[in-house]
Amino acid sequence: MSSYARSPASSGLRPIGGSGDFNSDVRLSVEQVSYAYSANPTQAPLFTLEATSFQARPGEIVAILGPNACGKSTLLKLIAGALEPLSGRVLLNGFVTHTLPHRTRGQRIAMVQQESPLLFPSRAWEFVLQGRHPYGRTLRFETEEDLLIARNALAQVGAEHLSDRWMDQISGGEKQRVILARALAQQPLLLLLDEPTLHLDIGAQVDLLDTLRRLASANRYTVVVVTHELNLAGQYADQVALFQKGKCLRVGPPASVFQRELLEQVFQTPLTVEHGSSGRPRVNMPAAK
Amino acid sequence: MPSAIPAAGPVSKNFVDEVGRTVRVPQPVQRVVSLAPSLTETIYALGLQDHLVGDTDYCDYPPDAQKKTKVGGAINPSLEQIVALRPDLVLVTKSLNRLETVHALDGLGIPSYATDPHTVEEIVSSTERLAGVLGVPDAGATLGADLERHLADLRQRLSGLPPRHVLFVVWSDPLISAGKNTFIADALRLAGANSIVDSSQDWPQMSLEEVVRLQPEFLVFAESRSDSGQSQFDLLAERPGWRGLDAVRNRRFAVISDAVNRPAPRIVSAIEVLARQLHPEAFSAQPEGGTEKKTPPSAQSQHSKSLKDSSGRDSKLLEACACAP
Amino acid sequence: MRPLTLSRLLLHCAILSAILFVVVVIALKLGAVPVSLYGLGRDLLRVLFSQTSQLSSEYQLIIFDIRLPRILLGIFVGASLSVAGASFQALLRNPLADPYVLGVSSGAAVGAIIALIVEPHLSLAPAVAALLTPVGAFLGAALTVTAVYFLGLRQGQIDSGTLLLAGIISASFLSAIIMFFMSTLTGGNYRGMAFWMMGELSTPPQRIVSLILRFGFFLAAGAIYTTASDLNLLLAGEQEAMHLGVDVRRVRLVVYIAASLLTGLAVSVSGAIGYVGLLVPHVMRLLFGSDHRILLPTAAFGGAIALVIADTLARTVVSPAELPVGAMTAIAGAPLFLYLMRRRLA
Repeated sequence: MSSYARSPASSGLRPIGGSGDFNSDVRLSVEQVSYAYSANPTQAPLFTLEATSFQARPGEIVAILGPNACGKSTLLKLIAGALEPLSGRVLLNGFVTHTLPHRTRGQRIAMVQQESPLLFPSRAWEFVLQGRHPYGRTLRFETEEDLLIARNALAQVGAEHLSDRWMDQISGGEKQRVILARALAQQPLLLLLDEPTLHLDIGAQVDLLDTLRRLASANRYTVVVVTHELNLAGQYADQVALFQKGKCLRVGPPASVFQRELLEQVFQTPLTVEHGSSGRPRVNMPAAK
Repeated sequence: MPSAIPAAGPVSKNFVDEVGRTVRVPQPVQRVVSLAPSLTETIYALGLQDHLVGDTDYCDYPPDAQKKTKVGGAINPSLEQIVALRPDLVLVTKSLNRLETVHALDGLGIPSYATDPHTVEEIVSSTERLAGVLGVPDAGATLGADLERHLADLRQRLSGLPPRHVLFVVWSDPLISAGKNTFIADALRLAGANSIVDSSQDWPQMSLEEVVRLQPEFLVFAESRSDSGQSQFDLLAERPGWRGLDAVRNRRFAVISDAVNRPAPRIVSAIEVLARQLHPEAFSAQPEGGTEKKTPPSAQSQHSKSLKDSSGRDSKLLEACACAP
Repeated sequence: MRPLTLSRLLLHCAILSAILFVVVVIALKLGAVPVSLYGLGRDLLRVLFSQTSQLSSEYQLIIFDIRLPRILLGIFVGASLSVAGASFQALLRNPLADPYVLGVSSGAAVGAIIALIVEPHLSLAPAVAALLTPVGAFLGAALTVTAVYFLGLRQGQIDSGTLLLAGIISASFLSAIIMFFMSTLTGGNYRGMAFWMMGELSTPPQRIVSLILRFGFFLAAGAIYTTASDLNLLLAGEQEAMHLGVDVRRVRLVVYIAASLLTGLAVSVSGAIGYVGLLVPHVMRLLFGSDHRILLPTAAFGGAIALVIADTLARTVVSPAELPVGAMTAIAGAPLFLYLMRRRLA
């Protein structure tokens, strides 16, 4: 498949902690990252994210789970390097994501989120080609290799047939796949998704997660998904970080995080948890009164 | 009058124009382009019409001027057309033409001479100066003397008579008049009138309230081909608020030709026409005796009316006073 | 998949430059003074080989000192305005943006009025006096651009929405100042200001001004072009662009300064000619797509072609009088745009 290994030394950057002397198994390391945000400098911060830590390896899917407005998206942006943490740091293969040059960051971290409405719509293949932007020099035109990678990316998400369609004329689920293809075209190490299943029906949701699972292990991506879908997280994630109001309550495999009391506290509703034979927990709502 | 003489060698003379620029004018001046109607009239008045090779679309007096090659408007003349006419000198006036046009002509190496008269006296002296620049100082002196005589006559007739308070209406909606520093205000003064407008702007917008407070004795209109003084007055009288003016209720208005709008020799005849309407007693055969503040309304409307129905008479009056061909 | 390639870009540019050439030849031919194509060709060759003494002097004056500079002015002003318009549409993420939306033209007008007020009081050589208006206009534009920039900052970064608001408010404020000036000042050629503000190419600029305009065009348009791929992504969304490796902050700053420079230079020389900066980018988008790598160069050509055609019409339709060129661009441009839009939607 595509070459994903970008050796830090080749881009002239030096990893933190000396040359190569880090746990080469861990790709993403979130270390005591916190954040505070206030709209007005004179006001007290409206929102804070308390110090959070976890690690992820190539091929792993991490789910950042919690109810709405608990800081999940902010954490994702911190991981992406788009925001500077108040304290702590996010390391990707030893490099602080926030201080990476823009181009390099675009080559290693890909973000999939709800798209702003397109001002001047483009075709799907044009859209996916945007993912090659971090690899281009100024005033460069796309090469054959770029086209090949873009086509592959569309194939990997099963959207090759959408290649010539206009982005404003395809369905929500199809658009989501094209957006994912664009992220794949970046050939990243880290794939970040912000509530990717929000507007999808259950079939499309399963489809997407299956694809992510497949891609993560085939291409050795590290995938971080922000979601509030308990069962999707439980089924597909290797690790779950459970959040409530800016505080990370627990990190670990789903089976260890999905404790009934904990979940009920976070989601403020009665729940039951089944632990199936596969080792993956299943959360149920109680019967309607 | 001098006809075309083959151009002599490249002799030129320096003149300082009325905005202070030094202009290098080739001698003799054979081909002139005028960029203002007043300048066109002046050229005809000096007898130099054969040297006028181009003028603006708005140069319509005397009628012969309409037959000259047109170079466009005063504000946006066609530079190409001007150049194609190969003028020795282009005449401009500060109040009508644009600075950019002058700069452009400079850039093309075409000399331009600017006039800028603000009073009637200055119009006369400007005409004489222009005559000198164009190589006919004698004609200029003669014309100047004629105009001075005419003005002196008017001064004498009007001496001792109290001036009428008038409002000169340039435009009625919004109400625009002429400022006190314009030559129009000066012309009014020489016609035995005082403009009630005390603004130093050239074309001040007046508030109707202020005008009603000042109650001018007469309204003065400049008549053009398309717009007779009578119709201008009627339009105005219909508007709300104007009835507050005595002059409107009593139909006291005077009409003069639009020569008053042009700083050219013809303005002197327009002054006389106005003086006749405002102070008819100064022009009757009777000796000046009792000075009346107001003439009987019937006599006034008769004056205005007679001027209205005989635009032909109007122009005859003008021609009688017009400058020597 | 048919991505943009260098050869396609060059092909389109070649076609457009051919069209521009034809338009220029026609424009040289038409005017208050008739010119024959044969004579024109012959004289152009003579000029190229410096045999200018053989030309009749008025003819030379008309063609080479009036008409040709006017056409060249139209080319560079048209190109500047279109590129600036396309850039502002991308920067502000707003298809209704035109080069003047951030107040540049109003600032330039205030600068020009002040220059007109000041000029009689300084006794300057004619060559310098003619420079006063464009210099004043450019200073006015530069000050406005700077002020709007600082007003448009939000948390230290250019924010499209705030910038647009700051620009519109500044433009309104400056327009009010202009109205105040024009109704209260005495003497002088302020009626000429009204003409200036409508925009016109009829006054040949000083040589140095033309040189600065052309140099500035290549500099600023070139700078914007280096961000062409970034602008494509920026239009897809600022967050998304950032994640795709675009240095949004730097791109915004470069485009803002360069597009303002283009507009400021154009307006200082020829007043605020309207519709070119708004319509031409849209027409080019309909013909060539929204990829800025091809949109920017074709917009430059398109603006040049449009303005030269409009100016030629403006100076020939009611010759020898002239119509305002901005009116011509609207009359010609709007129907064309509507036609293309309906074809695309059909």
